[in-house]
Amino acid sequence: MKNPLAAVRGAWRYPVSAYDQKSAMWLLSPMLVVLMVVAVFPVIYSFWVSLYDLKLTRPHRVPFVWFDNYLKIFADPLFWESVTRTASFTVMSVTAIMVIALLMALLLNQEFRGRRVLSAILLIPWAIPYVANGLMWKWIYDSGYGALNGLLLQLGLIDKYLVMLGDVNKTMGLITNAFVWKEVPLATILILVTLKSIRADLYSAAKVDGANVWQRFLHITLPALVPGFALVMIYEAMMAIRHFDLFFILTEGGPAEASHVLAWQVYVETFRKLAFGTGSALAYIMAVATFMLAFFIIRSTSRKL
Amino acid sequence: MRLDLLGQKALLFFGSLLFVLYVLAPIAWLVSSSLQSEAEITSVPPHWVPQQPTIENFQAIFTAKDKVVTYENRKQGDPATGGFIPSTASNLLPSMWNSLLVALAVVVLNLLVSVPAAYALAKIRFIGRSTSIYFMLSTRVIPDIALVVPFFLFIHKLGLLDTLSSLVITYLAITVPFSIFILTNYFESLPDELDKAARVDGCSRLQTMLLVYLPLALPSLVAVVLFTFLTSWNELLLALMFTQTPAAQTMPIVVASFTSDFSISFSFINAAGVLAIIPPVIVAVVFERYIVSGLTAGAVKG
Amino acid sequence: MARIRFESVGKQYPNGFVALKDFNLVIEDKEFLVLLGPSGCGKSTTLNMIAGLEDVSEGSLFFDDELMNITPPHKRDVAMVFQSYALYPNKSVYDNIAFGLRMRKHPREEIDRRVRDAARRLEIEPLLQRRPDQLSGGQRQRVALGRAMVRQPQVFLMDEPLSNLDAALRISMRAEIKQLHQAMQTTFVYVTHDQAEALTLADRIVVMKGGVVQQIGSPDAIYERPANMFVAAFLGNPSINFLDGQLIERQGQLKFQRGSLTLALPPMAQQCLAGQAGREVVLGMRAEDVETDGPTGEDGIEGRVLSVLPVGSDQFLEIEVEGVKTFLRVGKEGKHRLGEPARLRVNLNRLHLFDKQSGSNLMYPA
Repeated sequence: MKNPLAAVRGAWRYPVSAYDQKSAMWLLSPMLVVLMVVAVFPVIYSFWVSLYDLKLTRPHRVPFVWFDNYLKIFADPLFWESVTRTASFTVMSVTAIMVIALLMALLLNQEFRGRRVLSAILLIPWAIPYVANGLMWKWIYDSGYGALNGLLLQLGLIDKYLVMLGDVNKTMGLITNAFVWKEVPLATILILVTLKSIRADLYSAAKVDGANVWQRFLHITLPALVPGFALVMIYEAMMAIRHFDLFFILTEGGPAEASHVLAWQVYVETFRKLAFGTGSALAYIMAVATFMLAFFIIRSTSRKL
Repeated sequence: MRLDLLGQKALLFFGSLLFVLYVLAPIAWLVSSSLQSEAEITSVPPHWVPQQPTIENFQAIFTAKDKVVTYENRKQGDPATGGFIPSTASNLLPSMWNSLLVALAVVVLNLLVSVPAAYALAKIRFIGRSTSIYFMLSTRVIPDIALVVPFFLFIHKLGLLDTLSSLVITYLAITVPFSIFILTNYFESLPDELDKAARVDGCSRLQTMLLVYLPLALPSLVAVVLFTFLTSWNELLLALMFTQTPAAQTMPIVVASFTSDFSISFSFINAAGVLAIIPPVIVAVVFERYIVSGLTAGAVKG
Repeated sequence: MARIRFESVGKQYPNGFVALKDFNLVIEDKEFLVLLGPSGCGKSTTLNMIAGLEDVSEGSLFFDDELMNITPPHKRDVAMVFQSYALYPNKSVYDNIAFGLRMRKHPREEIDRRVRDAARRLEIEPLLQRRPDQLSGGQRQRVALGRAMVRQPQVFLMDEPLSNLDAALRISMRAEIKQLHQAMQTTFVYVTHDQAEALTLADRIVVMKGGVVQQIGSPDAIYERPANMFVAAFLGNPSINFLDGQLIERQGQLKFQRGSLTLALPPMAQQCLAGQAGREVVLGMRAEDVETDGPTGEDGIEGRVLSVLPVGSDQFLEIEVEGVKTFLRVGKEGKHRLGEPARLRVNLNRLHLFDKQSGSNLMYPA
């Protein structure tokens, strides 16, 4: 009466119970279906579409153009401008986010009365919709009656209202500020979580060894923070690269394309020009670039660990 | 020693002050603006605190449905202030209702998909487990933008364009990976032996998940519900793509349309903004502790 | 109610680690069997396979001649007590105990009766409405026992249930478990690394090391006639004393020799090892079989006292004999001083002899 599932005596079968395998598959199947839809399908399909010159303005003539769309994109100076712009936006916002979030997390990590209140308050920017965020800042930045202008005037820093979002030099900075303000809470919480996982007795040992606050920060907090920090950085960078909502609401890519970023370009291409082929190609380039960036960051930080 | 303690307290105090200012100031201004009449809101320099607070803006939103705004009508607007009510104003409340329906549907479906998957990934050893995990993580990397074209064509083919169901499907797709990630992490932190005890006691895998682990995963479940709800409520780009008529539009679209309307009443817009942020803010503040603890793997006693 | 049979069972993990190899064992119905060994020896794996929590990689597992390999745990009629108790944290004690019965759809009155019955027997009735985090370690352990008891299963499995308790509680719980076994008349399979526990509780012991069975037998058999050096060393506290040496022949009798030490050997040895003078062997002496009133001359053992460790009712002496540190347990009457010479006397009939290469018992081959 040998085990019917063992092929040959002495041959080691993979030791997973059939029941476990079956029940795991069943439990996983809804997720697999959903992920097929969100991952496999778009990736394959958008690549496929990007190989055609599909314009919804003339939906019946859809020539197959190989990689023409891609070439057109790479040849377009506006594309490269938006790439640089997106890159600088990402770098600026991620830096600002990480610095502010770190400071806030350090603050929240202390024990003091009202900490919970602060914590709850912190969540507000994260919770509000991007549209509301955009609306709010658009009003603050308003050139005619905005609060920013008003504040600067009252503080005596300017003597008359300035053009804000309409100013090519200022617009990216202002958008960055709005974006950072909204992203900081989540980053803070994620960093806080990492901070809390640092063992308390390490600090006690360091205090006994004679380390002061700054030294404890440098030798205990900072090193333990690196992996979580890197993760948050990746996440925020990805959010920045793909960000669309604020650019739509605040400036619509203007003025004079001063805030024309990649996400905006995809939108314009796909929904204003109705050129699905090129729109697809652009989206695909973005997806690949984001993927590689994440991969790169993960690789370089895990080497440090 | 005394000085050090005092210095620390002062630092904390200042830090907290800056913190609160940074976070609340813009919102406070939003609220303040929404309570000002058109005349007051256009004063230079601005009135930080409304001197003649009024709720007429909110009233306008709630009664907008009754007033059909036509081109002539629009020009008249509110003569006292010279501002105008956006033509899409009447859509605000219905669109919030749409947003709510979609968000609730997405939350329920999300849980139905994510919880079993997270349990399986965390507690069952099976062939293809690590592959599934990598697969799930990598889908997170894809930006929403890349989903635009394929989803649009796909939804179009299904004839679901301009319906709420198209939104539910797509939101489901983008919130599931994150939910599974959080839930799996949390499940992994729960002791394995409970699983063994339950199975020996007579539970199938499904029953173990439902009767034993689910009740224990409450904090992270709440976090997932919150994330999913908020993502769904706030989403703009995909909603923009898939819906064209007010019947199916969600709140972000309507609010966004205000800003691009030609001549607008600032106070009205601010009031709309306040309305738009009230549900998420309430939800976030009430569930604050769950958000933090749901993100961290907790320890279970016993 | 259940006779469990392992037939050439093996278990290998995906990373290549082999936990069990060619494992054969028959567990008789109503027996109290103990799986004993150091950590990593495969005893918990074996237990998990009976429960169905681990899959059988190779070979067959039978309950009463019914092949159980692919039956999932919730379809088997086993109950298990875990080392960490694994109580459901958000359920009351009552619900914890009743859980298994509810899953198997017993009627409500019967569940209530059984739960209260078990609670009374384990003296945890007043705790029925409490939750696990409100209980002490000992109380939690009883709840875990109760949960398994009420099921009245075919097989009762226990995975080091007493290791998390403090020493005094452990001893009293051993007695209770023994009584439980009598009362329930069910097959008990018990895993432990504590040899004293095994000796107290078992009808039979399976000693394991590295996934391989070393010896199966009654506690007495294993203690008195260990199959090899590992088993001999694992059981007994303090551990058995080993002396390397060789067999020599003197006046037609085989003797053990190491350096200047010569010892006579029991008749059993004379029989089994006749004519093997010159063979390298290892002598085993248990600590309680040696006394310090040894005669001078050939039958005595000379040594020097290295340390004296009083332990309440007895004392342990560490004595160096021919370069080897040996431990003895003697009564506390004798006065010994450090550095003193000592003459030891050993009960010849209680000597063990092992092969130097393989370690197996030369007088009682397994």
